[in-house]
Amino acid sequence: MKSRFSLSLLILILSLGLMLAGCGGGGGGDKKPAAENKTPIKIGFFAPVTGPAAADGDSVTKAAKLAVEKINKTGGINGRQVELVAYDDNLKPQEAVSIAQKLTTKDGVVAAVSGSYSHTTRAAAPIFENAKIPMIAAYALHPDITKGGDYVFRQSFVGTAQGKAGAFVAVNMLKAKTVAILNVDNDFGTTLADSFTKYFESKGGKVVSRDKFTMVEKEFNPVLTKIKQLKPDLIYMPTYSGTGAQIARQAKELNLGIQMLGTEGIDSTMEFLKVAGATADGIVITTNLNRESKLKATQEFIKDYSEMAKHAPDMVAASTYDCFMVLAEAMRKNGAEPEKIKDGIYKIKDFEAATGIIKGYNKLGEVTKNVQVQIVKNGAFAYYGEITDAEIITPPDK
Amino acid sequence: MLVQQIINGIVVGSVYALTAMGATLVYGIMRILDISNAGAYAIGAYVAFFFLLQTGSPLVALVTGVALTAVFGFLVQKFLYAPLMNKSPNVSLIAGIGLFIFLQDFLRLVAGPQARELNFGTLLPSIQFPSLQLTLYGTWFLILAATALLLLILWLLLNRSPIGLAWRATAQDLETAKAMGINTNRVVAFNFILGYGFAAVAGILVGILYNSVYPTMGDVPAYKMLAVIVLGGLGNPLGTVLAALVIGMAETLIGGYVGFFLPRDAIAFVVLILILLWRPQGLLGRRRSS
Amino acid sequence: MYEQVVAINIGLAMLLAMSLNIITGFAGQPTLGHAAFYGIGAYTSALLTAKAGWPFLLALPAAGLVAAVVGVLLGLFSVRVREDFLAVTTIGINFVVVAIFQYVELFGASLGLAVPKPVLFGLRFGNTEILILLVILNILVYLFIRHLPTSWLGLALGGVRNEEDAAASLGVNPDHYKVFAFGIGTFIAGMTGSVYAHFMGFISSSDFAFPVSVGVLSMAVLGGLGTVSGPLLGAVILTLSPEVFRFVSDYRMLVYGGLLVLMMRFQPQGLIGDDSFLRRKWIGLFSRGKGGE
Repeated sequence: MKSRFSLSLLILILSLGLMLAGCGGGGGGDKKPAAENKTPIKIGFFAPVTGPAAADGDSVTKAAKLAVEKINKTGGINGRQVELVAYDDNLKPQEAVSIAQKLTTKDGVVAAVSGSYSHTTRAAAPIFENAKIPMIAAYALHPDITKGGDYVFRQSFVGTAQGKAGAFVAVNMLKAKTVAILNVDNDFGTTLADSFTKYFESKGGKVVSRDKFTMVEKEFNPVLTKIKQLKPDLIYMPTYSGTGAQIARQAKELNLGIQMLGTEGIDSTMEFLKVAGATADGIVITTNLNRESKLKATQEFIKDYSEMAKHAPDMVAASTYDCFMVLAEAMRKNGAEPEKIKDGIYKIKDFEAATGIIKGYNKLGEVTKNVQVQIVKNGAFAYYGEITDAEIITPPDK
Repeated sequence: MLVQQIINGIVVGSVYALTAMGATLVYGIMRILDISNAGAYAIGAYVAFFFLLQTGSPLVALVTGVALTAVFGFLVQKFLYAPLMNKSPNVSLIAGIGLFIFLQDFLRLVAGPQARELNFGTLLPSIQFPSLQLTLYGTWFLILAATALLLLILWLLLNRSPIGLAWRATAQDLETAKAMGINTNRVVAFNFILGYGFAAVAGILVGILYNSVYPTMGDVPAYKMLAVIVLGGLGNPLGTVLAALVIGMAETLIGGYVGFFLPRDAIAFVVLILILLWRPQGLLGRRRSS
Repeated sequence: MYEQVVAINIGLAMLLAMSLNIITGFAGQPTLGHAAFYGIGAYTSALLTAKAGWPFLLALPAAGLVAAVVGVLLGLFSVRVREDFLAVTTIGINFVVVAIFQYVELFGASLGLAVPKPVLFGLRFGNTEILILLVILNILVYLFIRHLPTSWLGLALGGVRNEEDAAASLGVNPDHYKVFAFGIGTFIAGMTGSVYAHFMGFISSSDFAFPVSVGVLSMAVLGGLGTVSGPLLGAVILTLSPEVFRFVSDYRMLVYGGLLVLMMRFQPQGLIGDDSFLRRKWIGLFSRGKGGE
C-alpha cells in the first residue's frame, strides 16, 4: 500500500506544481513594442471551427484568411505585412477566455477579431478590454459585449437595431398586420424577437404567437400546424440556417402559404439555400450583405470569396472580412499600436466595405450602416430593399 | 388540427423508435450504453450521401449506407467493445463517447462542416386534405412503412429464428448461454451488425426527411435514444417502440398546444423521470432480482 | 496571464473530477449529470453576490450547500433505481437544470448572467487570487479523499461499492452512504461552480450542458475511478490536451476523441488503476526495498 500512496501524492504534487507554475509564469507576459518597421503585424482571431457551429467557423476562417491575403497584396500596413493568429474555440466560453489570454499575453497581437457566437465573445471581451487591445466582434449580437469599455467594437447590427429593422420591413414593405414569431432560444433569437415585437406593436401590429426552440431543433410541424390555425400575415423567424431551412421546408409541405421574414441568421448560401431548396423562394431577410451592390468592395469580396471557397459568401463571412478591412484602415491612417488602432476605429467615417458604407462607430463601439433587405429568388439572394432611415439603423449608445 | 398533431407525433415517435433500436439491441446483449451508435447514425447517412452523389441511385445509396455501417459495427465490436466486455460499464461508456467524438470530427474533416442535402428526389408527393386541414408528407409514408417493416423483420428474427433463440438466451444471461453451448461471440457480433445497421437506416431516413446530413447530426440522438431505451425498460425492443411513441407524442402535443414551457429535449427527460418515479423499472422492464 | 488561465481551468477540472469520483468511484453510483451541480453552484453564487449583495466568502459555501441539497434529493432517488437507469436519469437532471437556467428570467434566461469579481477584505480578485483559492480547495479536497478509504465513511462506501449485501449484513445501511456520497460530491461541485462563475465573470446555461458532464466523467474514468489521484491525472490530461493541440486547430477534437478511445481500450482500469502501466512501473521502481505490501 505504501507505493500506492506515494504515487498518488506524486500526482497531486505534479498537478499542483503545474498550477503553481501558472502563478509564477507572470513575468513572461512581455508586451513587445510592435513598432520595429519590418516585423509583421499580428491580428488575433477566434472562431468555432469545431463543435456545433463548425459551418460558421469554416466560413469566417476562410474570410479571415482572404482578408489578410488581400491586405498584404495591397501593400500591407504602410509596408508591413499582417499575420493572422487564428484559434478554434469549440464554441466554449472557457476556451474563448484562454484564447483571449493567449492572444493578449503570449502572441503579442495588436488587435483581434471574434468570428464566434455571443456567449464566447461575451466571455472574451473583458479580457481584451483589460489588456487594452481592440477587438471587433464580427457577428455576435449580445448587447453586453460592447458595454465593457472603449476597446470592444461590433461590426454587425446590434440585435435591437436589426429587430427594429425587421419590424420596419414587416410593416412598410410586407404590409403585415399580424405576425407569428419563431425564434431560436438564445441571445440572438431573443433579442431580435423582443425588439421586433416592440417596434411592430408600436406601429399597431399584433403578435399572435411566439414560440422558441433550441439551435438543434428539426421538427416544426407541431408548431407550424398551430400557426396555420392562427392565420397571421407573416412569420418572423430570427434563427439560424439549420432550423430556418426546416421551417421553410415544413411550411411548404403543410401548405402554409404565409410570407416569411428571416434575419442575417439564415443568410447562408450552403446551409440555408441548398437545404431549403425551392421552398426558400420568396423568403425575405434583413442582413448586411447586398449581393447587387454597386460598391467595388462588395463585388470584389463576392468574387474573391467565391473563387477561394468554391461557394458564394454568406453574411458571417462578409462581416468578418470587414472587421479586418476596418482594422487595416485604422492602422493605415492612425498607426498600428493598440491604442492608436482603437482611436483609428472611432475616427472611421463613410468607409467603403463589403457590407456597404460604414458610416462610423458610436461611443459604445456599435457600427452604423444601412440594413440590407434581400429576397430569395431562384435559389439565390437578391436585392429587395435597403433601410436608410436613421431612426432604425442608429444603434443605441448606452 | 388534433388529427394532424397526432400524426405528427406518430411520425416523430417512429423516428425515435428507429433511432433507439440499434442501441437497444446492443444494450440487450452487452449491457452497455452505446453512444457510438449515434456516430453510426451519422456515418450511415454520410455513406448514403456519398453514394447518392456518385451513382445517383437512391437504392445503391441506401444499401451501401446500411451495409457499410453494419460492417463498421462488426469492427467496433471486435476491436473495441469485445475486449472491454468484462470491465466496468463506465469504461465502455467512455470508450463509446470517445469514438463518437472522433467519428463526428472525422466526418467534419472529410465532408466539410456544412449541412448537405440528402435529396432522394420526391419519392412520394404530399397529400393535402383541405377540408380536414390535413397534410400528409410523402416522406412520412416512407418512414412509417420502413419502421413497421423493419420492426416486423426484427420481431421475426428474434422470435422465429434459431439465431433469435440464441440472441434471447444470450440476452438473458451470457455466461449460462455460453455454458449451454451457444456461440455467444457470434451472437454478439450479429447483434452489433444488426444494431449498427438499424442506426444507419435511421440516419438515412432522418436525412431524407429533413433533406440534410451534417457532422453533428448524431448529437441529439446520442442522448435522446438513451431516454427512449431507459423508458422502454432497457434492452427491450418492444418497450423501446412504446417509449419512443410516448416521448414523440408528448413532445408534439406539448409543443402544439401548451407551447414549449421547457426545451423539447428537457421534456423527454421530464417524461422519463416522472415515469421512473412511478415505475423504477421502466415501461416494459422487468424488475431484475439482484 | 495565459498560463494562469490554463492552470485555473486545470484546477476547476481537478475539483470536478475528484468530486465525481466520490460519487461514482467510491460509492459506485454512475452519474452523467455532474455539470448540473456545477451549474447550480455557479448560478447560486452569481445571484447571491450580484443581486443579494452577499460577500463572496459566504456565497462560496452557500453555492456548495444549494448544490448539495439537490444532490441529496438525487441521492434519495438513486437508491430507488439501479445503475444504468440512474446514469440516464442524471443526464435528465442535467437537461432539466440547464433548461431552467435557460428559461427562467431570474437566471438571466438566454442572455446569461454577469458575475462580479470577488472582493475579500478589500482585495479585488484577479486570476492570481483565484488560482491560489483553487490550489487551497484542491489540497483540502485531496486530503479529504485521501483519508476516505481508511475512514469509517470510506469503509462503508467501499462496502457499498463491492459487497452491498455484506455491508448490509454488518449493520451498515448502504443507502445512507450513497446519499451521503451524493451530498459531499455535489457540495464540492457546487463550490467549484462558484469559483468558475467568478473567474469567468459571465455565465450562461450552455456552460453547464451535458457535454461538460461527459467531460468530467471521462477525466475520472481515464485516470482511474475509485483511485485517490487518478482523477487528478485525468483532469490534467484532458484539460491540457485541447490547449497543447491548439496548433493543429482543425484536428483537436479528433485527437481528443481518439485519445479517449485508445486509453480506454488499452488502460481500461484507468491510468493509475490496479495493474495499469504507470502503477506497474512505479511499483517496479520502488518496491524493492520495501518488501512488498
